[in-house]
Amino acid sequence: MTTLWDTTGAEVVKALAAERRTGGGVTSGLALTLVVVAEEKDVRDVEAAVSIAAARHPMRVLVVIRGPIDAPKPRLDAEVVIGGRFGPVESVVLRTYGRLSLHVESVTLPLLAPDAPVVAWWYSQTPDLIAHDPLGVFADRRITNVIRDPDPIAALRQRAADYAPGDTDLTWTVITAWRAAMASALDTMHSPASRVTVKGNPLDPSALLLAGWLSACLNLYVPVEPAPGKYISSVEVEFSDGHRITLNNESHRLVMRRPGQPDSIAPFPNRTNGDILAEELRRLDADQTYATALGAVTGEKDLSSRTPTRKHIWIDPALAASEA
Amino acid sequence: MSDIVTDSEVDGPETPEEVPWTPAAEVLTAPAGTPAATARNPLRQPHDRRLPRIPEPCALVVFGVTGDLARKKLLPAVYDLANRGLLPPDFALLGFARRDWGDGDFADLARAAAKEHARTAWDEEVWSRLSAQIQFLPGAFDDDAAFDKLAETLTKLCDTHGINGNVAFYLSIPPALFPTVLEQMQRTGLADEGKSGGWRRVVVEKPFGHDIESALALNKLVDDVFGADDVFRIDHYLGKETVQNLMALRFANQLFEPVWNANFVDSVQITMAEDVGIGGRATFYDATGAARDVLQNHLLQLLALTAMEEPVEFTPDAIQVEKLKVLRAITLPHDLKHYAVRGQYDQGWQAGERVLAYRSEQGVPADSNTETYAAVRLGIDTRRWAGVPFYMRTGKRLPRRVTEIAVIFKKAPHLPFSHTDTEELGHNQLVIRVQPDEGVTLKFGSKVPGSMMEVRDVSMDFLYGEAFTESSPEAYERLILDVLLGDSTLFPRNAEVEASWRVIDPLEEFWKNYPPHAYRAGEWGPRAADEMLQRDGRNWRRP
Repeated sequence: MTTLWDTTGAEVVKALAAERRTGGGVTSGLALTLVVVAEEKDVRDVEAAVSIAAARHPMRVLVVIRGPIDAPKPRLDAEVVIGGRFGPVESVVLRTYGRLSLHVESVTLPLLAPDAPVVAWWYSQTPDLIAHDPLGVFADRRITNVIRDPDPIAALRQRAADYAPGDTDLTWTVITAWRAAMASALDTMHSPASRVTVKGNPLDPSALLLAGWLSACLNLYVPVEPAPGKYISSVEVEFSDGHRITLNNESHRLVMRRPGQPDSIAPFPNRTNGDILAEELRRLDADQTYATALGAVTGEKDLSSRTPTRKHIWIDPALAASEA
Repeated sequence: MSDIVTDSEVDGPETPEEVPWTPAAEVLTAPAGTPAATARNPLRQPHDRRLPRIPEPCALVVFGVTGDLARKKLLPAVYDLANRGLLPPDFALLGFARRDWGDGDFADLARAAAKEHARTAWDEEVWSRLSAQIQFLPGAFDDDAAFDKLAETLTKLCDTHGINGNVAFYLSIPPALFPTVLEQMQRTGLADEGKSGGWRRVVVEKPFGHDIESALALNKLVDDVFGADDVFRIDHYLGKETVQNLMALRFANQLFEPVWNANFVDSVQITMAEDVGIGGRATFYDATGAARDVLQNHLLQLLALTAMEEPVEFTPDAIQVEKLKVLRAITLPHDLKHYAVRGQYDQGWQAGERVLAYRSEQGVPADSNTETYAAVRLGIDTRRWAGVPFYMRTGKRLPRRVTEIAVIFKKAPHLPFSHTDTEELGHNQLVIRVQPDEGVTLKFGSKVPGSMMEVRDVSMDFLYGEAFTESSPEAYERLILDVLLGDSTLFPRNAEVEASWRVIDPLEEFWKNYPPHAYRAGEWGPRAADEMLQRDGRNWRRP
């Protein structure tokens, strides 16, 4: 590990190259560069998630921690680690202070792995418009997590308004197991679904996205009805031939109940942030299914036909503050 | 990205603010390998690539479930599939074997086998759920009552587990027992799709016969009971990630295909070396030999995938057509004496341990003439490959376990460097490592740093384990899943098996009259095999 205090971007590039030479080339084939925007308090969680995801995707990780922009002097501190606590990855933790926090891309651009896709991940709060953050403008894929926003539902709507192909949200990723179970359940049915209800917390963005996905695929209105629990607790489906099935989440087991047949039970493990991130990194193209579900849930139209590229919109928080 | 339009083509109706849902319809085309019943499922959309491919509700019946293969490969693979969430929630496994065991004893054996050999982490809860879906039924294969019981149990299982008659039968038994078992299945109507209302498939392991006659008879036997399309022949090599990658490498890239022909390729070497001896398989092996055991199936399949033309589309039928063309175009050398070498290992030292000669292995006759090594030069009579020798070799007790395909290119027609500059420059090579260290190596010349112009070989490596660290599924996992999904892309068909025997039979006929060359255990085969390449001015690659 190399730690650089009050340094420059060029020094960081050199330190990374030196670590690569002495580190014995743990990763000769990099699949992507992951840029994580995090706060100091999240660094541990980010490390834990990245080390799990890194086991499946060899990558370079740049963790960007933006310090207060009112610091008197711009300053950059960096840590370069190859292997080590992040797992089999090349990682650079960048801490910026002062006005440099508004221009972090000047440090990250030379550090991106050559010609490999760039994925940006806002660990907690996403900017209102991704175009406000130059790190998002340079990324081919952008991962947000509205559940960590103070108002997840408003944040989800904002994600739809701001959507561009290549965006995904981790509240969508976490319901893949639900979606797989729903698809399997419908495999065995011979008539179309006529009524579908998602039960759970109506303020949970995942529940809304599941309902949105179902409504878009089945061409039905799918409500989220309040039920005890923080997330999704069950899904009920009625078919036009009178059959009914219920899928229940019962402490890490998914139980499917059908009248006249024994319950079928499937594992439903609680996935860590790392597992979810790893699923996200599997595909680096736009997720049209997510766009459809997000569109259905928010009423935004034609999300997939938007342009996948964004143009940076400059905002200066200091100026905004003084004007206010 | 091409199907991106499907979303935008559909306009949802105007929705009031209170009901913010936009129903949308999607154009549905199922991807290749999708079971027919699930293709209609509106929740399975081709561009939704997060959802795993999960088979329809089905049962798997394993004959010979207490055997070696079932314990080491099948049961662990089924556990791994369950652990990865790739089995349908409605699934049942019914084991059938001659041993007289209770359900409980079998559960213990299955648990121990799965736990010892599973690839993924052990999760007691997954196993307890899976074991509730596993049943064991003892019985002799020629016992009518046992099969009646089997049919009855299966029907009951299907009813209680919500399975609509979809059953795959895995014949993990010696081929000699096939007629008995198949006859029983026919008698009890187990193989009857019409009667059961679902699909019925059968999985057969190699050997697929021991010559063309027996292969034809076996194929007819199985195909008569099940339809030809419902027979899945397992060649576990084809389930390996690198073998599938061979097609991606060749047909998804622009870089390799232009030089993939006789104009640029000097020769091709396909090697499958094993460091182990024959283990406990003496009786089977002594009657079979290396050529029938490995060359006929694994090596010829690798050759077919290396040499075939581009399939019109990536479907089982289209790929089979191309593989078959290559297999039928294979020619044997006229001079079999010099270009078809077989060997047998003598005693020696391997990896620091003293090992026995083949003839001293337990169960092998002291005068056995069975080969444990076979090397042969094949040609392919097509415009693409005419004149390019394909050197194939396989053997036991070789220095290390390795399987690879090496495409060796011609030397540059003119070198502007002096002879001494390029002394260390060999042929350019593209090596596909099937196992271990799955990956691809490209070997080419590069300047040695310094004031002199000196060119030597360097290699550029692509290692699966590095670029994709997610461990590749075990071949059996993939193949069992494909059987349950009904995707026959990775399974050789009848005609391929028959074409392969047409290559092997003349070799066996010729070898009958010559004893195998001896080679010391722990060496790269007999001298005669080295001489075979030297005669052509070439050398075996050391894999």
